[in-house]
Amino acid sequence: MSVSGKLFYHWMDKDFDESLKFIDTEQLGDIPYDVTIIGAGVVGCALAYKLSMYKLRVLLLDKNYDVGEATSKGNSAIVHTGFDAAVGTLESELVTKASREWPQLAKKLKIPYEECGALLIAINNEQNTQLDKVYEKALKNGVTDVQQLSAEQVLELEPQITKNVLRGILIPRESIADPFSTSIAYAEIALSNGVDILFGIEVIGIENVDGKVKSLITNCGKKFDTRIIVNVAGLGSRKLADLYGGEPFDINPRRGQFLIFDKFSRSAIDHILLPIPTANTKGVLVIPTIFGNLIAGPTAEDFIIDDNTVSDTTVERLQELLDGASKLYPGLYEQSVITTFSGVRCNCSQGSYWIRCNDGHQGIITVSGIRSTGFTSSPALAEYLIGELHEKLGLNLNVNPVAIDSRSESSWPGWWKRPYSNNELVKESPEYGRVVCYCEQISLGEIIQHLDSPLKPRTLDAIKRRTRAQMGRCQGFDCMVNVAEIISNYCNIPLNKITKRGPGSEIISTNAEQYQ
Amino acid sequence: MNSVKHFNVLIIGAGPAGVGAAVALTKRGIKSIAIIERSDKIGGIPSFYKKKKGGVRTFVRWSRGGIPVFGEDYAQWLEKQLIKTKVQIELQSQVLNIDAKKKILTLVSPEEGEVNYSADAIVMACGSREETPAERGWIAGSRPVRVFYTKQLLRLLDGNHLLPMNNPLIIGSDVIGYAAAAKLKAAGASEAVIVDNCSRPKCSFFERLYFRIWSNPDYQGLSAKSIEVTGIKTASGVNLNGKNIPCDGIVICGELIPNSELALNGDIKVELHSRKPVVAKDYQLSEPGWFAAGNILGGFHGAEWCYFNGQRVARAVANYLS
Ligand SMILES: Cc1cc2nc3c(=O)[nH]c(=O)nc-3n(C[C@H](O)[C@H](O)[C@H](O)COP(=O)(O)OP(=O)(O)OC[C@H]3O[C@@H](n4cnc5c(N)ncnc54)[C@H](O)[C@@H]3O)c2cc1C
Ligand SMILES: Cc1cc2nc3c(=O)[nH]c(=O)nc-3n(C[C@H](O)[C@H](O)[C@H](O)COP(=O)(O)OP(=O)(O)OC[C@H]3O[C@@H](n4cnc5c(N)ncnc54)[C@H](O)[C@@H]3O)c2cc1C
Repeated sequence: MSVSGKLFYHWMDKDFDESLKFIDTEQLGDIPYDVTIIGAGVVGCALAYKLSMYKLRVLLLDKNYDVGEATSKGNSAIVHTGFDAAVGTLESELVTKASREWPQLAKKLKIPYEECGALLIAINNEQNTQLDKVYEKALKNGVTDVQQLSAEQVLELEPQITKNVLRGILIPRESIADPFSTSIAYAEIALSNGVDILFGIEVIGIENVDGKVKSLITNCGKKFDTRIIVNVAGLGSRKLADLYGGEPFDINPRRGQFLIFDKFSRSAIDHILLPIPTANTKGVLVIPTIFGNLIAGPTAEDFIIDDNTVSDTTVERLQELLDGASKLYPGLYEQSVITTFSGVRCNCSQGSYWIRCNDGHQGIITVSGIRSTGFTSSPALAEYLIGELHEKLGLNLNVNPVAIDSRSESSWPGWWKRPYSNNELVKESPEYGRVVCYCEQISLGEIIQHLDSPLKPRTLDAIKRRTRAQMGRCQGFDCMVNVAEIISNYCNIPLNKITKRGPGSEIISTNAEQYQ
Repeated sequence: MNSVKHFNVLIIGAGPAGVGAAVALTKRGIKSIAIIERSDKIGGIPSFYKKKKGGVRTFVRWSRGGIPVFGEDYAQWLEKQLIKTKVQIELQSQVLNIDAKKKILTLVSPEEGEVNYSADAIVMACGSREETPAERGWIAGSRPVRVFYTKQLLRLLDGNHLLPMNNPLIIGSDVIGYAAAAKLKAAGASEAVIVDNCSRPKCSFFERLYFRIWSNPDYQGLSAKSIEVTGIKTASGVNLNGKNIPCDGIVICGELIPNSELALNGDIKVELHSRKPVVAKDYQLSEPGWFAAGNILGGFHGAEWCYFNGQRVARAVANYLS
């Protein structure tokens, strides 16, 4: 992939700024951008990808040091059909539309994707009576391929689940995909089509908000001029809207905790297992992951906006999750939980998909409350936003004939394609036969390939999300330091400066002494 | 895929147990043996405990009157024993899968790519790792950087001469935790706090007395149900019994769990939660011709115990073959 956009990491550390800057901010020039996207979550990245199909000067920036470092990395990774969305809403429209686009999208973007199907299961009489309503709702949402199943039919599809099942609904197209690769793929293609991408850049002020060209003040000292501002900053969208005086709205972060089970659990379950949804949440799900694990979750716990324990996990809730998930699949008690995680939903009190055009000022669009379905809806939401930008914010759209919409074949993640099984490749590049992450069986070759990939990931977590090194049952016991050493050696960064997710997260305490 | 190479005995893992088995099998006249090791050196866990001036010796040679040694020295001794034999040594070779019925291993290495090896008998000497916080079940909270396992600490401290923290907090009170506290103190960190979910440390009195030469960590037992790690970007402490104990780094120590995933994947019987392979008499596993030696058997065993255990398993293998 030839890279024509510019990439900049604001690494803050003066000592080795050079190796990670890649370019100087001055090289970005002073020509105003047509569109600046603030927030490189899955929504921002999808928008950058779709905008890069046009002749536009686009900037995508994020305060973190990789794409998808916030809500987009902590979700259930289900590509929903939208069968249970609130009928007639924008969310329902975009989710159902995107769901049909996904099989093609996944092929273009080289995102591992599997149409595993979901089973909605009633295990008591109350739920049983709810089932018909869910079925009708699915039909109303245009998801007409759902099927009602008897207890016997459910157990035939999933023999290991609870024998208490009374009845079920099969939703064949509910799917699973790799949530990490999605943001990455969108951004890589956008970059190659000319979108500039900046990491470690936080917008701290906006000058000339009323002007045709606005000026973004950032933490790196440089100002970025832009005609249009797109606020897709997720949990940060509220604070950002304050900077330009957008219409007031409230975010109540809603945490979802998950358990990840060892891969040995996966052979037991093929479908996503769904309990009957309640007013607030979908309840505790048992979800096969594309990576070959099972996960159980999420919880739904409300927080106030600046609570810094919002993404913690708690022993009590995790136990509740295990108990809840075991009601669907009792065999879970036998399985080992290798790790836990949590994600935080951008829950907007004013409603989901809270989108305001020319918010407070001409040329600013606020996109918030992309709470529970943004991963799925991202391609359709991006297209919808482009429509709004064109119609309401006056963005001119001229197709860029040389833009590409796909990643190359070699972009498939190694854990999906297993390069070590290709003896020709190993003969040519022996590093593909050198396993570094024993549990997930990830080779040195794959890690180096990703260090060279378009977004030039340099943090342990960025490499982890791309390769899966450290994501297996030993959780980095064996390979964490090896991966850090590989980044250090290959990129000429001192080992003590290697970080988990950017400055301030160094693996070595900054004031600890060198020890002989 | 390349063709299958056949051996009398294959040993997975060149730690103390695997080397013990290789040496004893050779002495018993078994000719074609290969030992397969995924790291780039012989010696297993001891090889990560480097020899350092003023450093802490954490391994004991009971057969030599109970003298404490550096792991690296013991690993070098193991290497010498192994080199003396004619055993084929395959380093940087990871066993990916097994076929238990056919006694075939699929492995991958930079030289050969993916290949199959078969044997009349196979010894699993894969060792163990430390349980994750989730596996322990009473550790939650945030997920900052600088929460290490002991092996990671060793790789930084001994392998790269980097002291990762000044004020360590150690979760896990068995001998590995006390050894880590001593090593950190010897390297210049301050006295560690050790926490565990029991009222008294798991490390024995005599072992603790030995580590007093270097350090006298403060032990705090958990009376509540759980602890929470605190810190957004880097570990800043743990909440324990209602108060926050500050630190600038955490080491998760001990509570070993067997590396038995190959067995489990290959339908050899393994206890699910403890991950201990089910062992019949003479260290035989549930499939004929498969044996286990060393720390993969479960529990904590010192390196020399594992070496001698490997020799005992070798005797069982020889009996099986004849
Ligand atoms: C528990 C849980 C389960 C879910 N399950 C699913 C599912 O199965 N299927 C599905 O489709 N969806 C699911 N979702 C929803 C989905 O994850 C989200 O809708 C989606 O990730 C939202 O993406 P985003 O780009 O809007 O936000 P984010 O990913 O949060 O991106 C916002 C970005 O803005 C950046 N930012 C913030 N402030 C600033 C600033 N001032 N300057 C610069 N950058 C800034 C942040 O660093 C961040 O990268 C789930 C969500 C949760 C929490
Ligand atoms: C973190 C930690 C710290 C310890 N500290 C001490 C200490 O200070 N003092 C002490 O006396 N004991 C200590 N022990 C106990 C130690 O494990 C034993 O002393 C001894 O090393 C166990 O020997 P072993 O041969 O059974 O396993 P190991 O020494 O673990 O060796 C197993 C070998 O098998 C290899 N292997 C595993 N799976 C595969 C595969 N699929 N393919 C190829 N190769 C494979 C591994 O790479 C490894 O080299 C510690 C253990 C751990 C886990």
